[in-house]
Amino acid sequence: MSKSRNETKYWKNLKEYYNDPDVFEEKINEFKDGVTDDFETSHLSSISRRKFLTLMAASAAFSATACTDYRDKGEIVPYTRRPEDLVPGIANYYATSLDGYTGNGVLVKTREGRPIKIDGNPEHPINKGKIDAAQQASILNLYDPDRLGEPQQNKKQISWNKAINSISGELKKAAEQNKKIALISNRITSPTTNSLIEKLKEKYSNIEVYSYELFDDTSKRNAWNKSYSGSLIPSVKLNEAEIILSIGNDFLAKDGNVVENIKQFSSRKEFVKEVNSNRLYVVESELSLTGSNADYRFPLKNSDQKKFLLTLLNGLVSKDAGLGSQFPIGFKTLIAKHDFAALSNIDKKNFDQLVNDLLENTGKSILVVDERASEEIQILSHLVNEILNNNDLLCFSKAFVDYNSLSNSDELKNLVNELNSGNISVIINLDSNPVYHLSYIDGFAEAFNKTAAKISLSQFENETTALSNYVIPINNPLESWGDFYVRKNVYTLQQPIIAPLRSTIQKETFLLSLLNEKLSSDSEILPLVKENFKKLVYEKNGAIVSFDNYWNNSLHDGFAVIKIEEEAKADFNYAVLENISFGKSAGGLTLLLKPNHFIGDSRFANNGWLQEIPHPVSKVAWDNYAAVSPNTADKYQLVNNDVVEIKSGAKAVKIPILVQPGTTDDTFVVELGYGRTNSGDVVKDVGFNLNNMISLDSDSPYSISGISVSKTGETYELVSTQEHHAVDDSKLKDIHLSRGIIREGTITEYKKNPDFVHEHDHPIFSITDEHEYKDHKWAMAIDLNKCIGCSYCVASCNVENNIPVVGKDQVGVGREMHWMRIDRYYSGSPDNPEVSTQPMICQHCDNAPCENVCPVNATNHSPDGLNQMAYNRCVGTRYCANNCPYKVRRFNFFDFRDNFADAFYENDSTALVHNPEVTVRSRGVMEKCTFCIQRIMDARSKAIAEGREVAANEIKTACQQSCPADAIVFGDSNNKESEVNVFREHKLGYHVLEEINVKPNVTYIAKLRNTESEDV
Amino acid sequence: MKKTVIDYSLKVRLPLTLFIVAVTFILTFYISRAERDSIGYAPEQPIKYSHKLHAGEMQIDCQYCHTAVTKSRHAVVPSASICMNCHSVARKDKPEIIKLTKYYEENKPIPWKRVHKIPDYAYFNHSVHVNKGIECESCHGEISEMEVVTQARGFTMTACLECHRNPEEQLPYLEKVNKGPENCAACHR
Repeated sequence: MSKSRNETKYWKNLKEYYNDPDVFEEKINEFKDGVTDDFETSHLSSISRRKFLTLMAASAAFSATACTDYRDKGEIVPYTRRPEDLVPGIANYYATSLDGYTGNGVLVKTREGRPIKIDGNPEHPINKGKIDAAQQASILNLYDPDRLGEPQQNKKQISWNKAINSISGELKKAAEQNKKIALISNRITSPTTNSLIEKLKEKYSNIEVYSYELFDDTSKRNAWNKSYSGSLIPSVKLNEAEIILSIGNDFLAKDGNVVENIKQFSSRKEFVKEVNSNRLYVVESELSLTGSNADYRFPLKNSDQKKFLLTLLNGLVSKDAGLGSQFPIGFKTLIAKHDFAALSNIDKKNFDQLVNDLLENTGKSILVVDERASEEIQILSHLVNEILNNNDLLCFSKAFVDYNSLSNSDELKNLVNELNSGNISVIINLDSNPVYHLSYIDGFAEAFNKTAAKISLSQFENETTALSNYVIPINNPLESWGDFYVRKNVYTLQQPIIAPLRSTIQKETFLLSLLNEKLSSDSEILPLVKENFKKLVYEKNGAIVSFDNYWNNSLHDGFAVIKIEEEAKADFNYAVLENISFGKSAGGLTLLLKPNHFIGDSRFANNGWLQEIPHPVSKVAWDNYAAVSPNTADKYQLVNNDVVEIKSGAKAVKIPILVQPGTTDDTFVVELGYGRTNSGDVVKDVGFNLNNMISLDSDSPYSISGISVSKTGETYELVSTQEHHAVDDSKLKDIHLSRGIIREGTITEYKKNPDFVHEHDHPIFSITDEHEYKDHKWAMAIDLNKCIGCSYCVASCNVENNIPVVGKDQVGVGREMHWMRIDRYYSGSPDNPEVSTQPMICQHCDNAPCENVCPVNATNHSPDGLNQMAYNRCVGTRYCANNCPYKVRRFNFFDFRDNFADAFYENDSTALVHNPEVTVRSRGVMEKCTFCIQRIMDARSKAIAEGREVAANEIKTACQQSCPADAIVFGDSNNKESEVNVFREHKLGYHVLEEINVKPNVTYIAKLRNTESEDV
Repeated sequence: MKKTVIDYSLKVRLPLTLFIVAVTFILTFYISRAERDSIGYAPEQPIKYSHKLHAGEMQIDCQYCHTAVTKSRHAVVPSASICMNCHSVARKDKPEIIKLTKYYEENKPIPWKRVHKIPDYAYFNHSVHVNKGIECESCHGEISEMEVVTQARGFTMTACLECHRNPEEQLPYLEKVNKGPENCAACHR
């Protein structure tokens, strides 16, 4: 049966699905409770009032002086010696890298010497010009008022010389007393940091290095070692895969190098220029972003992953016995015992199709499993790829370098014992936060606290610095020299973009100071970076140019490619299969711990921009929660916001509930990184800490079975952005179904009937004459096939357009200021819904309804097709927002910089993050997407300077630039060469709410799912 | 009939007061107009630099000092190093040049008083205007005759639009000239 939009029911939340009367109520009431209440002055911060009085006094003084003389216009202070290549008003770009985990390269935009935007480095071979939301927003961390600025000893400020001297003294004392020194760090991927630690170890032979990650991937590395003995883990060429099967691997959001993955995955969701699509099967326990982009999604309890893999192997071998020819006998009998019947909840037809797809696409399909799954599961996944010849898709030249392996749980427990026994008398915490992260190691905090000398390096106050004797403030990555060696063929360089804003040093300088026993300077790190670069890159590559030339070029590019010969993959070790045990299901309730999309392991937690981007699936902002399936919620009589107590053994934690469609039954999914106790102002009282629930000893450290859950009777309010600002789909359900806000189908349907998207269109006529656009006419197109809903565009837009952080309370009343939102719609059943995402921004309608109602003409249409907004003319009637069918206008109910947490974002330091080309809006004005008018004007002025026209695809909006999927296209629709015209005229292209004849200028390309049957 | 106090107030005092207020307002409005628009503003500068001498008599090109005017939205007040291109040799003994040298050698920026200013929410771009062939004097007046830089024309939105609407009238020296954009987003973003 053909699926048309009249027959598919889309729903935004479960209340709506079950026709809850509340939803009806919500749709009638435009504003949430309390929004329209009388204005209460106590809501204003005290700062505002003071400022008001100051302003009144100042204006009185001004008016007095104005009568007597001209108004003073301030000063212009030029450089004494202007640096070469620095022109005020023109941006400079520098290539560097901020993150040693992915080793991705970034390009930092600076204005008059201050960094204002971080984008991907377009030339970098791994991330190719794209970068994740966390790194884009991390520019705010540079200017964060909470940054530590001076070294401290026992919470008292001391001088740098004194700090280094007394810490050197502590180290010597430990050596004299035959005590050990523990150096704790996250994974180190920098050759320079590493060489300094090695040198320090030579000086103090009693140093022991411990490294950890909150999300430990040791099992993955060990398993690879067992299957293929010794080689490094290769990367996957996702763009070459016809069939991708993911078992619990959230590669589009959390696992591996996400930016690289999205780019490769979406390059195979091409329908505009040609039909070229991969097919994604996802088997998972929680509704992840990867799962929500799947063509076929099988909900499966995490504990059943092994059973699924063995059943899959059984299915493959029973279809093609040759595949199992090399299996040991024991293993053959083991897989024969796993038949499909044991897998509950999985559709037999779809499973058979998966098996067929894998068999038909040998060498062109790939299986990826949960990064943190047990070694057995990892080995089985290697086996599937091996027998299906999928190893052609593995890329060994871009393999992940295992520079420093992480300490295992025994080593970490031993650390606690040694701390307790006093064998270790000095701890150096090298920019990690073990007291917070390692709370799952029994008694870590107490043992840490007992130690004689505790030295913590950090940019921010955290749980570990709170217990430390010495706190050493360190540089932001934008202020540091460095290098990262994460992928085998790429050596990424880091250079300082700005001098340290506070009295800080980089952590390498600290290590060097300990080595020299006197305070060193950051500039002394550069020769070390160069030395390592010479050894590891220049000499290896056998370059002909001089070293200085080679270095300068590489530093300019931000990376160097290392020449390596493609090595053949070792043979799969079939003997390892003999130890695989039977795939049993674990009964009872499971707690599944996952990384967070934006704040990582909490290192970006103090960043308001990241806290406020809604979760890509649940749309909850500013919190973590336990996601449960609707069935489980019914079973335990839980509703949203109920606080439950989760117990596992002696450990117990409290957390609120969110009923999340698509979660498997009896599973509680929680993202880690929240619930900080000592940290900056932003993250105070945000979320819940479940780090102590990790059980590193078990096979599956992040999937804890046998938990018990009880309702506490308390409630905790979670705020979500999905329920408000949604396109008003009317009070009557039947009308809503025919509005076609989301239009999608399948490839088969499209091939049969290419016009299916427009089947229900009606002829639209206008009673007025068309306005003529003579010169340019700006337009955008968004390809919903490529868009995966990652929200990186939201981060980019926030930074580019000076979007304020409003805080949880304001998000709760629907006042978030994001110009761009990613709408998420569910369809199908709540147990396994299909998810559609749609970026929604100002549509710059030709017949914009907002323009007609503005009483002061603050919003009107430009001759180049933009719906423009003059802030200084706006008086804040909000008529326009009321009249906008897309609900994309945002109103400044406060001066949000001043309103958030006692003017946290209004100070000299955070003011530096603002883009000087965009007005900082104040209270009482309306704002919305401008199609990045500042970028259009910039391109225009460049074209005028060069005496030419603006080129067809010259302008890139901020969202377009950051989209790792290349889903956004922008250009001049009056120019025939513009790419955007291909999208506008495409048969899959449609406009949202086009029947109301507002003539939007954002074209959406309908999503096609690569499913066999037409009924999705 | 006896005139009451109220009658007197209403018939004589009120109209009189209103008249005086109106006249004062209109007079003040027109007389202070130039001053409100800053026309004639000529603040005292930290160094008595003369455009008349440099740009007028010596005919140094504007762009020798205002280097960014064709590239950036700012014309750029020159850095002291540009002055020192000549003054490390020329007229070293003059008191003003001694002042300049001191700033330069102590690496202290010179706090020039700002003469021309438009509000923060208006994004004026020098380069697009200059690259279209508009001369500096069209907005800044006869700079080459000014001993002390003085604002010659109003920098209000009215002033901008006057020229954007009638460029042929305002810029007669340009052979071919298009109308400037009049939409909000041309300047406000």
